[in-house]
Amino acid sequence: MLKKVLPWADVRAHGDSAQEARLYMKISTKLIVFFCGVVALFVALALALLTQTRTVSAGYDALLAQQVRQAEAARVIQVDFKKQVQEWKDILLRGHTPDDLTKYTRQFHDEESQVRSGAAALATAVQDAEARELLDQFLAAHKTMSEKYQAAYDAYVAGGFDFKVADKMVRGQDRAPTNLFDQVVERLNSQVVASVAAQERAVRAARNLALGVTGGLLAGLGLVGLLTVRTILQRLGRLKAVSDRLAKADIEGLSVDISGPDEIGQFGESMKGVHAAIEELSRLAAAAGQA
Amino acid sequence: MAAKLNEFYKQAAQEFGLAGRIKLAMLTKISSEKAEAADDSPENIRIFEQALQQLRSGG
Repeated sequence: MLKKVLPWADVRAHGDSAQEARLYMKISTKLIVFFCGVVALFVALALALLTQTRTVSAGYDALLAQQVRQAEAARVIQVDFKKQVQEWKDILLRGHTPDDLTKYTRQFHDEESQVRSGAAALATAVQDAEARELLDQFLAAHKTMSEKYQAAYDAYVAGGFDFKVADKMVRGQDRAPTNLFDQVVERLNSQVVASVAAQERAVRAARNLALGVTGGLLAGLGLVGLLTVRTILQRLGRLKAVSDRLAKADIEGLSVDISGPDEIGQFGESMKGVHAAIEELSRLAAAAGQA
Repeated sequence: MAAKLNEFYKQAAQEFGLAGRIKLAMLTKISSEKAEAADDSPENIRIFEQALQQLRSGG
């Protein structure tokens, strides 16, 4: 039955019980199996490393595609918002000139529009609830600030470009949205740092696992190989001892107890024949001597 | 006592001389001295029959 399942196997019963059947392999089969085991191990390790590399790469890609990009977008909006405030100051300082008033008013509204659309898009994209809440608060504060800026602008233009009146109307109005957006940037940056740290931990864990599994498998394979070689060498040593005694015709008390279906066992069986032939020859020589 | 096994040795000597005895010992892995002490078991008889057959076929 076993031989049908494993064509290379030779099953023999030891003693009187067939239940004591043991599995034997030829040395050539053992070597082939060992070689195939080593090749299979290294192929499996290569595949595992490839998979691990892809997983790490996918993790960093996801990090870059989402959190890093969102943090970068937040920094751009932060700069745009600072530019918007700067444009307001330019309006107050240089708006008495019609061309400058038109120029800086347009630039102010451009920046305002970019800040609003950017913050709205970011609020839709971010997955972190706290960051989204901060962005919603920023959008509301920014809207309130814009309305007050518009009122101050109208007063500035109507009042003969008196920047003091306009400035007084919006003084400190940019502080709340600035603080809110600083929190957004800080929150997103800390998430990026935490994600990178988590990714590094995952990489370290995967590396340690790979090293452990590789080391274990290599040690196991090495142990199996060592035991196989040791067993073969021990049996070869016994075979050599028998062969040396037969070569000297020293057969007194010699017992050739090397068996098995492998090459050494087959050699041992041949040695038993040689041993018996030498015994027979000795007996015949002794009989001839007596006659 | 293995009378039948001894008979195989005598048969080999008659048919092939001393070389036949030595070859029989080599093929069966049982010398005539050990054959005397061995049993005439069906397994041993089968081994000797096959060996003698091999000698006769020139093996």
